[in-house]
Amino acid sequence: MTADGKLWPIVTVPIENEADVVTVRQRAHRLAELLGFERQDQTRIATAVSELARNAFSYAGGGRAEFILDPTPMPQVFHVRISDKGPGIADVQTILDGQYRSKSGMGLGILGARRLMDHFKIESKPGKGTIVEVGHVLPDRAAAITRAKLGDASATLKRDSSSDPLEVLRQQNRELLQSLDEIRRKEEESKQLDQELSDTNRGVVALYAELDERAEQLRHASELKTKFLSNMSHEFRTPLNSVLALSRLLLDRIDGDLTPEQERQVGYIRRSAESLLELVNDLLDLAKVEAGKVDVKPSAFTVGELFGGLRGALKPLLTGHAVELIFDIPDKVPNLFTDEAKVTQILRNLISNALKFTEQGEVRVTASFDAAARRVNLSVRDTGIGIAPQDHRRIFEEFSQVDTKIQKRVKGTGLGLPLSRSLAELLGGELILESVLGQGSVFTLSIPPERGDPLRAQRAADNARKRVLLIDDDETFRYVMRQIISNEPRYEFLEAIDGDDGLKVAREQQPDVIILDLQMPTVDGFTVLQELGADSRTSVTPVIVSTSLNVNAELKARLPAGTRVISKNTISRENVSLFLRDATQGAS
Amino acid sequence: MDRIPILKFGNALLVTIQVDMHDRLATALEEDLTAKIVEYNAKGVLIDISALEIVDSFIGRMLDNIAAVSRILDADTVVVGMRPAVAITLVELGLSLTGVKTALNVERGMELIKARLRTTESEEDDVEQ
Repeated sequence: MTADGKLWPIVTVPIENEADVVTVRQRAHRLAELLGFERQDQTRIATAVSELARNAFSYAGGGRAEFILDPTPMPQVFHVRISDKGPGIADVQTILDGQYRSKSGMGLGILGARRLMDHFKIESKPGKGTIVEVGHVLPDRAAAITRAKLGDASATLKRDSSSDPLEVLRQQNRELLQSLDEIRRKEEESKQLDQELSDTNRGVVALYAELDERAEQLRHASELKTKFLSNMSHEFRTPLNSVLALSRLLLDRIDGDLTPEQERQVGYIRRSAESLLELVNDLLDLAKVEAGKVDVKPSAFTVGELFGGLRGALKPLLTGHAVELIFDIPDKVPNLFTDEAKVTQILRNLISNALKFTEQGEVRVTASFDAAARRVNLSVRDTGIGIAPQDHRRIFEEFSQVDTKIQKRVKGTGLGLPLSRSLAELLGGELILESVLGQGSVFTLSIPPERGDPLRAQRAADNARKRVLLIDDDETFRYVMRQIISNEPRYEFLEAIDGDDGLKVAREQQPDVIILDLQMPTVDGFTVLQELGADSRTSVTPVIVSTSLNVNAELKARLPAGTRVISKNTISRENVSLFLRDATQGAS
Repeated sequence: MDRIPILKFGNALLVTIQVDMHDRLATALEEDLTAKIVEYNAKGVLIDISALEIVDSFIGRMLDNIAAVSRILDADTVVVGMRPAVAITLVELGLSLTGVKTALNVERGMELIKARLRTTESEEDDVEQ
């Protein structure tokens, strides 16, 4: 083979694995075919290359195969140079002489290759690798290979190799391995993520436990506060009452006259004590509500009655005010069956607040019924200073007051709204505030119309009229009472002519209140009282005893404790109405 | 790793080598074939190499080995369909494949194996008589 410059290299194939050995011999076969070798020579060349390539792979761990055309001699020569970087062959000559026989037949490979090819050259030095170069003369008959023809051949080879199914398979294998690697990496990543997540989770669980503990501590602290407040309030009340009583004594001149200056001072003492007592009472109420010691005592009443009572109670506050207090009496609000005292307390609080913070204009109290939510909304609307949005929450906190110029002038405990809200919740409702600073506020108490025994409430709603049963043998008295009671639209009048009849009617009709005469033939009033008390249907029905006997301690001792007694001598329209109202409301 | 399929064919096994095997594949085939001979108690092995354009020393030795091992396991190996160029190259390479029976094509190969089976059966019959 002449100098490298005149050689035409065709292709170089690396030998890195077993499959490459196959590739190299296939290339050799195909190139031999493309260069015009006979079939027999194609097989010879491929076989020789296969032997040499295998040697390079098995003994040197890999190398490369260069396919070269030497165009100069005629006929031209096809060379294959297999080189490796292996340990080299110690004694090449022994092998070439055919003396050497390895178990795997290495000698056979080299010898065989030499026998199959026209040219053979081997260079090997220990530690420097081996280069074997074999060559085969192109057939005489074939035309000389030109550069262009060689280019075509190598292009065809490239096309072959790209469509080589084995090559495709290997490519796919490599991709598959890469994918597997990728998957393994992803798996590790997700394992790590999983680990991190479970760490985080543990942290969250620990935080939860801590929060629980905190919540428990807070609950405990709140209980302590409630207990403290309720105890302290009780303790405060006693000395305060003393102060009030003593100052009243002084002002009443029981212990002699006071100078005007002393009177003014005692008056201050008294007013301060009164406002302190008010504060203590509010505190006690709040503490009771928070401790759950307040019971709801439902009774039936109408919004009209409620507003009437409030108007009377709040009239004193209006003196000297440029503010008008208006109650809109609605007609479409159902009768209420809830704790009237507490509703009154809340509204009184709201109205007095509204009056305090309104310098001119009006305070309007309205009622409406939300049929969908089954809520009665009682609103107190003022034209006062209003409350800034950021203070909406704060004013419901205990002892907090919004800093305004009016606030500085008017006194307050800072407990009214928190107490009102607690009471509203107790009634199953809520207290809602809408307000625009400078334009006024609307506080709305939204409560369900019924609270407590729904059956009873139903009856109260269905039939607002109370049924009054009169048991009396005296026909004249029955007539008088019939006139008085039937006149009132609130009451329905039932009557019974003696004790037996009375018991029968009481059990069958279950009236709301019974007016009972004591002196009757056969079964007297005392017996009727006992019988009524023994029967579960009538045991809770309030009873008003009407008698012509002298109402004295001796008589009251013979009746169950707390029994209302009305003397027949004092019967009047107002009196009867008062007793009936008292009995029907107090008993519920 | 892919494998060369081995088909059971009556008492014989049929291997058709369609691809240019790399060395490991060839070794695997040798092992598989040995195992199947035992498993099926095969009496003959037919190896069709008509698709092979190159049989170098390694594959040649593999064929030789298969023949030797199957002989010990009481099975005949017949290599069929060897291309003339391959046969010439093998000789030039110095591999004579002395232990391997060859046949021109599959039919002849099968006949060889059947003939062998008949003789063994008649021998067995003789023993029984």
